[in-house]
Amino acid sequence: METEHLKCDVLCVGGGIGGLMGAIRASELGAKVIVAEKGNVMHSGKGGGGCDHYLCYIPEVHGADMETYIAEMMQTQQLHNFQTLGMKRVRTHIAKTFDIVKLWESWGMQTKQHGKYHFAGHAFPGGLRCLLKYEGRRQKPILTEQARKRKARIINRVMVFDLIGKEAVTGAIGIDTRTGKIYTFEAGAVILGTGAVARLFPAVTPGWLNNNATRPTLTGDGRLMAYRAGAELQDVEMRMLHVGPKYFARFGQATWVGVFRDPQDKPIGPFVTRPEGLYGDITPEVNKALFHDYWASGRGPVYMDGRGISNEDYADMMHWFPHEGLTPVLEHMREEGIDYRKHPVEFMTYDHGCQGRVVTNEKGETSLKGLYALGEELAPGVSNASVFGWLCGENAVDYLKNAHRPDVGDMNEQAEEKAGLVGKMLGRRDGADWREVNIALQQIMQDYAGLLRTEALLQAGSFHLARLKKEAYEIIRAGNQHEVARCLEVLNLIEMGELVFMGALDRRETRGTHVRLDYPLTNPRMNGKVHIQKKIDGKPVTEWRAETR
Amino acid sequence: MPPVIDPDKCIRCGKCADTCPEDVYFGSGKKQVPQVTYPQECAYCNGCVEECPVEGTIRLRIPLPMMLLYKPTA
Repeated sequence: METEHLKCDVLCVGGGIGGLMGAIRASELGAKVIVAEKGNVMHSGKGGGGCDHYLCYIPEVHGADMETYIAEMMQTQQLHNFQTLGMKRVRTHIAKTFDIVKLWESWGMQTKQHGKYHFAGHAFPGGLRCLLKYEGRRQKPILTEQARKRKARIINRVMVFDLIGKEAVTGAIGIDTRTGKIYTFEAGAVILGTGAVARLFPAVTPGWLNNNATRPTLTGDGRLMAYRAGAELQDVEMRMLHVGPKYFARFGQATWVGVFRDPQDKPIGPFVTRPEGLYGDITPEVNKALFHDYWASGRGPVYMDGRGISNEDYADMMHWFPHEGLTPVLEHMREEGIDYRKHPVEFMTYDHGCQGRVVTNEKGETSLKGLYALGEELAPGVSNASVFGWLCGENAVDYLKNAHRPDVGDMNEQAEEKAGLVGKMLGRRDGADWREVNIALQQIMQDYAGLLRTEALLQAGSFHLARLKKEAYEIIRAGNQHEVARCLEVLNLIEMGELVFMGALDRRETRGTHVRLDYPLTNPRMNGKVHIQKKIDGKPVTEWRAETR
Repeated sequence: MPPVIDPDKCIRCGKCADTCPEDVYFGSGKKQVPQVTYPQECAYCNGCVEECPVEGTIRLRIPLPMMLLYKPTA
């Protein structure tokens, strides 16, 4: 087993928007920083293809009262994204947004249009526009350059799989996805930023695992290593929906300027009747299941209809598409002869299956000492990731000033255990590859913890999943180191699935997208409560807690 | 399957293989036209197209199940 032991003050696990911002801030405060990234920081993470909109509060634009801005924001999809995070954290985020935007501007990111801040999309007509348009096509290369400038050490192609530490988190262990080398990182503090959970539930095309708006290699690695180390997770059973072009799963719904219409050309929402660049059509943000409901009730398909768009709005939309990471969509439309000004494009509801978060406070601290979490470990959005990246970097350095550094103990034991598992995967000549296991997992998740849930379904599904897990550990095989990473991801996803079942069984109510047919009421006693899952003495436990703790 | 590299235009710099977050070019040799070892793992992020120094060398072929659907109108 080839190993390399590295020491640093702050270890950023995951080099997405948040991880890089954390690395930049901690480095410039004098910390020795390592970024361990499973892919390559240049284009990894949900922001890796770009982004064109950023939640940003500017008093001169939105008025002196930040609460007005927040109230407006919480009527849009941010309600689903930010609910149960606690308002203290939301306020901390929003108050810092303009500072980060100015910083990005100074690093060469275009945040103004014709010399002015321009807000558009994800907005109700006549309401405050909360999202700043910015040219984020090269955001990851720009942040990478800034991290390197400050001497943060970036190690690409390392999948970190476990945290180290007893009384506090003091490091992590990972594996090189090309050579199999084991890395043991000794760190004063660890910042988790490994993104969301894709591939737990089926993608829009069954069996086509990577047709996913969220990056397919984001498999909840961070929250699972946190959970295994004893950190608290919350609301893991809640499902997350989104909308986008049918079959070509992409984010960026609000970069399309048009009206959502039914086959008879009737707008399906009450907000706009013609393409309107400043606001977009916010209908699905009120109910993202709406397109699915149209389809299921025979009223579909639903189209994003750009007919009647002004030349100016069309030119703007073409300008923003590449920044939102939609160049492949544009190229595809060009090749297929699809002219958006004439051809309404079908949209659908995407079911991302699993939301959930690592429990953190407004400083980004988790329930474990020395462990921070940010970005999609908690909630979506570049704005959220970048602000908390910055703050986690700052707070981690602060923590290091006062923290006594506990003995890291024997990291080799944990490393050897995982190396043993990896050796078995590589040594098997027969067995199931990661795709086979992943698809088996997805069908159980979809049918037993999907759209409709009952005690009986969830109990049965838990049983099936336990069998699958046992089999998977016995027969999963990897042809090379690349496939080892995919296998480890799937094993993480199985553990995530177990937590979804446990959480869904324990939430005896219907709330939003968690539909319990045997408990159809939304229990008002659970309003404002978060549903905690954690391990105590190796055993999983659940707990309800008021959200503002 | 995506991505598709034009071997005549490729200067064999390896930037695409270096930077692909999904590592679909796993196993590519240095100073060779990169091989697309795991085409089905492509996430269509356009990163390789972005980083390629010679425009038009890499294109993403969108697989048939992902074909964009539209309404034929007059």
